[in-house]
Amino acid sequence: MRSRHRRITAAALAAVAVLGLPACSAVLGEEESLVDATSLTIGVKTDQPGLGLKDENGDITGFDVDVALYIAGRLGVSADDVEFTGVTSADREEKLIDGDVDMVVATYSITPVRKTQVTFGGPYYVAKQDVLVRAEDTGIQGVRDLEGLSVCQGAGSNSAARIAEGLGIGIRKTEEPSYSACIDSLREGGVDAVSTDNLILAGFLAEDPSAFRFVNNPFTDEKYGVGLPYGDVRACEAVNKAISLMYQEGKAKEFLDTWFGETGLQRVESVPQFEGCV
Amino acid sequence: MSPDSDRARRTGIRERGVRARRRLGTTPARVWLLTTVCAVAIAGLFGSAASTLGQARDGLDVLRRNGPQAEATTELYLALADMDSRVADMLLMGNDRDLRSDREDAQERYEASRRQASEALLQAAALTEDDEVEERNVQAVLEGMGAYEQLAAEARLLNDEAQAPPGQVDEAALRTYRRATWLMHTELLPKAFNLGLDSSAIVRANHEERQEAVGGGLLGVGAVGAVAVAALIGLQLYLRARFRRRVNASLTAATAGTVLLTAGVVLALVTSAGHQRDAKEEGLDAAMALSRAGAIATDMQADESRYLVDRDRADNYQQVYLEQAQQVLFRPASNLEAYYEAVDEVAASYPDLPGPDASDPDDPGTLGYLGQRAKDALLSGQEDALAEVLESYKALQGEDRALRSAAEDGDLAGALDIRMGIAHIEDGAFQTYESALEELIDLHMGAFGEGIERGDAVLEPWTWLLPVGTLLLLVLVVLGVRPRLAEYR
Repeated sequence: MRSRHRRITAAALAAVAVLGLPACSAVLGEEESLVDATSLTIGVKTDQPGLGLKDENGDITGFDVDVALYIAGRLGVSADDVEFTGVTSADREEKLIDGDVDMVVATYSITPVRKTQVTFGGPYYVAKQDVLVRAEDTGIQGVRDLEGLSVCQGAGSNSAARIAEGLGIGIRKTEEPSYSACIDSLREGGVDAVSTDNLILAGFLAEDPSAFRFVNNPFTDEKYGVGLPYGDVRACEAVNKAISLMYQEGKAKEFLDTWFGETGLQRVESVPQFEGCV
Repeated sequence: MSPDSDRARRTGIRERGVRARRRLGTTPARVWLLTTVCAVAIAGLFGSAASTLGQARDGLDVLRRNGPQAEATTELYLALADMDSRVADMLLMGNDRDLRSDREDAQERYEASRRQASEALLQAAALTEDDEVEERNVQAVLEGMGAYEQLAAEARLLNDEAQAPPGQVDEAALRTYRRATWLMHTELLPKAFNLGLDSSAIVRANHEERQEAVGGGLLGVGAVGAVAVAALIGLQLYLRARFRRRVNASLTAATAGTVLLTAGVVLALVTSAGHQRDAKEEGLDAAMALSRAGAIATDMQADESRYLVDRDRADNYQQVYLEQAQQVLFRPASNLEAYYEAVDEVAASYPDLPGPDASDPDDPGTLGYLGQRAKDALLSGQEDALAEVLESYKALQGEDRALRSAAEDGDLAGALDIRMGIAHIEDGAFQTYESALEELIDLHMGAFGEGIERGDAVLEPWTWLLPVGTLLLLVLVVLGVRPRLAEYR
C-alpha cells in the first residue's frame, strides 16, 4: 500500500511540476505512518516490576508489555513481529526521535512540554501519584501526615517536589538512583515513605504485599501515553481506537488484574480521556 | 465444409484484410482515424475532469456536513462537565433562603446542560454510525448519564433533607455525590471527550481521503489532457505534411483550447483544494481546539466546586484543577501560585507570548489550547479576540486565587461567595471567559464556512464551462478536418 501511495504521489508531483502549478503538494498523497508498518520495535522499561521487567531469561514482561502487544496486534502486527527493547526515563525521548524505536510504552507521562516533540496516543492508563509506607506505620493516613518525615524519590523524578512545593508539606526529600533502591531503603527503615505513580508502587507492592501499604491518597494524574513519532496522526488515532477497544473488550481489566490484582490499588477499568492527536 | 469453400473463405478474409489495409492506407482514412483519436481524447478529458470536479465538490459537501457535527460532539463534554459543576454548586448552596435565586439559576443551567448533552449525544451517534467502538461509547455515555442523574438527584435530596447550611454539605449527601462525580470523571467525561476527538479524526480521514482522490484525479486530467494535445498536434502535423499547408487555424485553436481547458480544470481543483484545506485547518480545527479549551475550563469549574464541597480530597481536586488549567494554557509552574503569576505574565505580554529567550533558552514556551498554536491559527484581524480570551482567562484565575486563599484562611462563606460570583449566569467570570471564547470560535467557524464557499465558488463555473468548452473543442476539430476530407469527395 505504502509504495503504491508513494508512486502515485511522486507521479502526481511530477505531473504538477510539469504543468507548472506550485503549492499543491498538500493536495496529494499521504505521509508515512506506523499504521502501515509490518513490524514494530517498541521501547519498554526493563527494571520496573509489574510494568516492564527483564527476567533471567532475557524476556521482558509486565503491564506495559501486554498493552504494547495488544496495540500492536490491533495495528495488524503480530506478536512475532514485535521486538521489545529497553528504554529508560532518560533516553526514551531520544530513542523515539532518532527512530531507534517506533513506539514507546514505558510509564511515559504525557506532558505539554513532551507533546512538542512526541505525538502521544492514549493515555492507556491514568496513574496517580501516591505514597507507599511500611505496613506497620499505621499513623500515616494521608499525604499531610508526611510532615517532617523522609520521602524517597528516584533520581530525576519530580514526585517529592510535588508534595513539598505543590502541596506545601514540609518533608525531607531523599533521592536514590532508582525506585527499587528507594523500596529497599523503605524496607530497612532508611526512609519513611516512597512517593511516585501508584502503578509503579503497585508493581513493587505486588512483589511483597505484606511489607507495605498504600496511603491511598492519590493527588495527581499521571497520564501514561503511547509515545509515537512526532506528527504521526494516523498512527495516533489508530492507537486510540485500539485502547478504546482494549477497555471495551475487558482486556485492560484483565491486564490490570494480572499484574496488580493483589495490591489494593484502586484501579480504573474504564477508558481514560485521550489527549488528542493534533 | 468442402476444401473449395474453405479456400474461398480464406481468400475472402485475406482480401478483406488487404482492402482494409488499403483503406487505412488512404489519406482520408488516416485523417478519419487521427480525428477519432482526437475526439476520444477530448471526450476522455471531459470525463476525467467531470468526475474529478465531482469528487472535489463531494469533498466540500462532506466537510460542510461533518464539520458542525464534530463541533457539536465537543459540546457533549462541555454539557456533561457543566452538569457536574452545577450539582456541586447546588450542594454548596445548601438550604439557605438567601441563595434561593442562585439555586434556581444553577438548577436551570443544570437542566439546560442535560438537554444539551442529550442533543449532542444524538449528533455523536449520527457521526459515529458504522463505527462499533464509538457506538459502544455513545451507548455507555447514554447509560452513564441516567445513572449520574439518579445519583445527583439523590445527593441533593439528602442534602435538602439534612437542611445543610451553605458550604457544609451533609455527610451522606457528600458520599453520594462522590460516587456521582467519580462516575462522571471516570466513565462519562473521558468517553465524551474521546467521542469528540474521534469525530475530529473522522473529519480528518474523510477530508484526506477525498483530497487524495482529487489528487489522483488531477493526475488523470493532466495525463488525458496531454494525450489530447499530442493527438491534436499529430493531426496537425499529418495534415501539414499531406496537404502542404502551413497551419490549420481551427486545429491550432483546438490545441490551445485543450491546453487552456486542462490547465483551467487543474488550477480550479488545486485552488479549491487549498480553500478546503484552509476551511479545515484555520477554520474547523482551530475552532475545535478552542472548544476543547472551553470544555476543559468547564470541568475546572467542577474541580473548583469540588474543592470546596469535599474538603478531605481538596488537595487532589486542586492538583487536578492545575493540571486541567495547564491543558488550557501551559506555562511551566509547579503549583497554582506560580501558575497564576505565569498567566498574568502571558496576558500582559500578549501579543508576544513568553517563550525561550536569552535569559532562559530552555523555556518550553506558551503551550496548550490557548497557547502558541491558537496564536498561530489566528486569521488577520483576530488578534483582539484572542487578547480578550486571555484577559478573561486571567480574570478567571484571579477569582480562583481569591477563592482558594479564602478557603485556606477558613473563610468558607467568603469562598462560597466568590464561587457564586464566578458561576453567575450573567456577569460571572466564567461566563465572560466563555463569551470571549465563543466569539473567537465563531470567527474560526466563519472562516470554515467561508473556505467552503470559496472552494465551491471556484468549482462552480466549471459545471457549464467544461461541457461548453468540450463541445467547442470538438467543433473546432471538425471544422479543421472537414475541408481536407471534402477534397476527396
